[in-house]
Amino acid sequence: MAPERSPLLEVEDLTIAFGDGAPVLDGLNFALNRNEIVGLVGETGAGKSILTRAIIDLLPKGGAITAGDIRVEGQSVGKLPEARKRALRGGEVALIGTNAKLLLDPVATVGSQVGRVLKAHRPASRTEIRSRVIDVFRQVGIVNPEARYEAFPHELSGGMAQRVVIAMALIAEPKLILADDATLGLDATIQAQVLDLLVSKGRELGLGVLLITHDLGIISHYCDRVGIIQGGRLIELKPVDQFLDKPETEYSRLLLDAAKVRPAPRDQSGDDAPAASIQPLLDVKELRKTFVVDGGQAVVRAVDGISFRLCKGETLALVGESGSGKTTAGQCLLKLLQADSGSVMFDGTEILGLREHEFRRMRRRLQVVFQEPYVALNPRWQVVDLISEPLALTGQRGGAERAAEVTRLIDLVHLPRRVAGLYPHQLTAGEQKRVGIARALATGPDFVVFDEPTTALDIRVRAQIIDLVRELQARMGLSALFITHDLNSVRSLAHNVAVMRHGKIVEHGETEQIFARPKEAYTRMLLAAELPIEANRSGKAPKTELEFVR
Amino acid sequence: MFGVMFATFFLIRLLPGDPALLLLGNMATPEAIVSLRERLGLNDSIWVQFVRYLDNVAHGDLGTSIFTSNPVLQDLLERAPATLELICWAMLATVIIGVAVAVTAVVRRGGAVDRASRIYGLAAGAIPDFWVALLLIYFLFYLLGVAPAPFGRIDALLPPPNRITGFYIIDSLLTGNWDAFISSAGRLVLPVLTLTIVNAGALMKLTRTVFGDVYRSDFIRHARASGLPESVIVRSALRNSLPPIITLVGFLFGFLLGAAVLVETLFAWGGLGQYAVQAVVNSDYPALQGFVLVAAAFILLVYMTVDILYEFADPRIKV
Amino acid sequence: MKAFFENVRRHFGLAAGIGFSLLAIQIIAIALAPYIAPYSPIDADPLSSLQPPSVAHWFGTDVSGMDILSRVIYATRINLLISVSSVIAAFIVGVPVGLLIGYYRNIFSNLIMRVFDFIQSFPVFVLGMALVSVLGQEVWNVAIVLGVLFIPMFARLIRAEVLSLRERPFISAARCSGASDLSIMFRHILPNALTPVIVQVSISIGMAILLTAGLSFIGAGVRMPTPEWGLMVGNGAQQMILGVWWVALFPGLAIVFSVLCFALLGDFAQAVTDPNAETIS
Repeated sequence: MAPERSPLLEVEDLTIAFGDGAPVLDGLNFALNRNEIVGLVGETGAGKSILTRAIIDLLPKGGAITAGDIRVEGQSVGKLPEARKRALRGGEVALIGTNAKLLLDPVATVGSQVGRVLKAHRPASRTEIRSRVIDVFRQVGIVNPEARYEAFPHELSGGMAQRVVIAMALIAEPKLILADDATLGLDATIQAQVLDLLVSKGRELGLGVLLITHDLGIISHYCDRVGIIQGGRLIELKPVDQFLDKPETEYSRLLLDAAKVRPAPRDQSGDDAPAASIQPLLDVKELRKTFVVDGGQAVVRAVDGISFRLCKGETLALVGESGSGKTTAGQCLLKLLQADSGSVMFDGTEILGLREHEFRRMRRRLQVVFQEPYVALNPRWQVVDLISEPLALTGQRGGAERAAEVTRLIDLVHLPRRVAGLYPHQLTAGEQKRVGIARALATGPDFVVFDEPTTALDIRVRAQIIDLVRELQARMGLSALFITHDLNSVRSLAHNVAVMRHGKIVEHGETEQIFARPKEAYTRMLLAAELPIEANRSGKAPKTELEFVR
Repeated sequence: MFGVMFATFFLIRLLPGDPALLLLGNMATPEAIVSLRERLGLNDSIWVQFVRYLDNVAHGDLGTSIFTSNPVLQDLLERAPATLELICWAMLATVIIGVAVAVTAVVRRGGAVDRASRIYGLAAGAIPDFWVALLLIYFLFYLLGVAPAPFGRIDALLPPPNRITGFYIIDSLLTGNWDAFISSAGRLVLPVLTLTIVNAGALMKLTRTVFGDVYRSDFIRHARASGLPESVIVRSALRNSLPPIITLVGFLFGFLLGAAVLVETLFAWGGLGQYAVQAVVNSDYPALQGFVLVAAAFILLVYMTVDILYEFADPRIKV
Repeated sequence: MKAFFENVRRHFGLAAGIGFSLLAIQIIAIALAPYIAPYSPIDADPLSSLQPPSVAHWFGTDVSGMDILSRVIYATRINLLISVSSVIAAFIVGVPVGLLIGYYRNIFSNLIMRVFDFIQSFPVFVLGMALVSVLGQEVWNVAIVLGVLFIPMFARLIRAEVLSLRERPFISAARCSGASDLSIMFRHILPNALTPVIVQVSISIGMAILLTAGLSFIGAGVRMPTPEWGLMVGNGAQQMILGVWWVALFPGLAIVFSVLCFALLGDFAQAVTDPNAETIS
């Protein structure tokens, strides 16, 4: 690594626009050196992804650089001949994108795909390529790389697929890596492993890494410098420590506040209430649900005998990674799935044995807020119809009465009243989430299941939804079951926490106790994988103890 | 297959009129009809007749054609290669043209091929194949005289090549019979062109949609961002578009069989389709029944092949 | 509703314009055939056989001296009657059947699917040819046969939509909100499942026109002297080789424009009803 004059990546006054519209990126200026990790933070639509595509000169159709320049090692990317551009992509600048499973060719083996990239940049014989690919597979922590070489993408887990994509990025020995939300949608433990790997590889090989994310936790743990992008402008760029200590702009402060773990708010009224009621509102015993997969070849025990109780006014969080069976458990409680065995007593009534028409009368009291806000709303219905549908359960018939009720609900979840006439696709993700909450609250339920209430939302929106739920808890004395993998939100919302793994509850107890003194190794690992921004920044080294938990 | 036989059998039982009467013609005496009914077993219960019919089919006996007086199976076997040759060449041309046009249209979006293919895709679905055939005959044979006359698979003055595969082109090549090769190849041009013009449109439209979606998908974008050359990218996108293309090709085989009925009639092709039309026109029900049975069996075979190919094309589908 | 009209306006381009114009022409031909057709469509005049297009006979005459223009106009009635009625019948039967066998999955719905598999395992044209010849070559029989052949297509299409829709979270959400089976089927699933079917209706009418014409062309559909496009092309087939082009050309063109009309309307319906297209603003 001889010192060279020009930085690895220079972005100078970069402005990108689509057609005649307002610029998506507006006058961006920054540089990235070798052996440096720079994080870029911004919310959905801030223009982060466009930047990565611009650096490799593959802007989406209609987009064009209207001003400024991008230079890699002093060379202006846009001015390179087409063949040199191709050599640059993957050869010098490698891109790692979101959702690795979608980035891999579904009908080619992963080994051949990584090999294709090597062959495109460094022509070599078939056997050389193969051994090199297997070598890199091993480096990125793929166990049994020879066998994995022949695997198809659909046979891999999300984390494994992401490792393959990283291997694909490293194989041609690039100098700069652009990671665009590379760990979005992965479980926290997997996310930590993947980022540890990426960062340690970057440090080891002296690469420049541009880490694009909307998670300030990732920034604080892995990056040297951080840039904040808002509305296409880079509004702040400084070393991470300085940024965390005193952010300059109002927007940065907002982001930082939203990302911080909120203090537990529940000591005013909540603490004694659950203890006081002797009969639990919900009593689940030995709930089981199995699925037959692979055409009868295998059985998955999604929920494997879980038991818990929930008192009036209590909020329980069911925490686990994807595949732990937490969502299945929630669906069994609501009879959206028929449980195999066990018992669910709701307010003294056994509900598992009830027939659909018998249970319909109880639906009013048990409601759910679904995971993905958009797909849980009928795309052809207006908000007003969506919110008034469950009102039929309460027996309100009068049109005026219903209209008033819908307005009350819209106000309750702090939506503007004009949304009543809109369709789901015209709403933002946060608004869709609020409509889902309004639907669940319409019948005045005693118990609500929140299925992943904060996933796939931007930091600020997430904070707003958490505030809303907290407000509702306090105002309505709701009993709730939180199904989530986001431990941060749990801490501020739940009285008790149950940690699920492989269909079983491995640890169950009061929230603060679990956070302060987790008993199980798995719980500790989950907590360790969380990346709260306040965490001790001295431990900036990769958390290698996480490597082999799976 | 059992269902097919069941249906073709009852189809023929639904016929208005007495088969015995049909066989003997209007001049038959009542005694003759009674004795023939006896001989054909028409007085037995319908289930007995059905079982007997199944037994016959199992032994390769599809009945006797009223019109040609030959066993239906023999008639069908004689004519099958003609139809197969037509369909196979048409299919080959359809796949090559349909896929090539679609890929070019997607890769060079907004180009001349793209725009022309849109118009063609719309028009091809609207043009009746028999009418295309007539126009081709009129222009290429009557006006320009570049195409041979629409009378059969080979010049009437030439003896057909020795039968090896039943495909005239291949047989004449194998036997080194150049006159037969040139004549039969020439005769194939118009009917194959007809079928291709009509069918390539459908395949082109589907391929354009499927390939277009794949070509804009995340993994192709990522492949491009990894610096793969365009030829590798197109190949990989095409490879991913195969499953729906295979399905449509299978479906088109069935469609071609139907289209062959029309086209063969126009070109006096002497294949299965023309035989079926004769059967309809002459109320030759055993022949029609046999043709339907063979057509269904052919389709079944094609669909089975499609299923097998599908598994090769898409590793996500388990055998 | 306003959004719907806005959407219609946005997608109404040249193609849709041509489609609707062709539809209007056909409707006029159907309604006013006796007033616009210069001659009777079935009166033969052996003295003026095979006359080329002229002022007296714009499209010429056929072998038996019938005026081709008049026959093309009158044939619109027969062809559209057959195709539209068969598709509507198939829609009316196929959609509820598809909805039910998609929503309730039991032995009964499996049995119906087997029957559909079976019907569809035949080449459509071949089966249609056999069925019509068995039932008798009448206009209504052709319509009935086509209707029966199209039922599986609609039912399958709806079923496939229902199968994917019923797994969507908003159906679970509706159930939690207390929606009954009937309400889920008809208020939640059907409106979302109908989009591809509406498009298919238009395409099927075109297919029905082609099939009817094909059947009549080989003499397995309606019979002379009924004015029908395919039959007329068939009449001209022999003359084409001898250079008499007008007998087959004009009815063929009528088929092309009629099918094209429904294909364009189908594309238009697709563009208007595609929910993904709506989100782009």
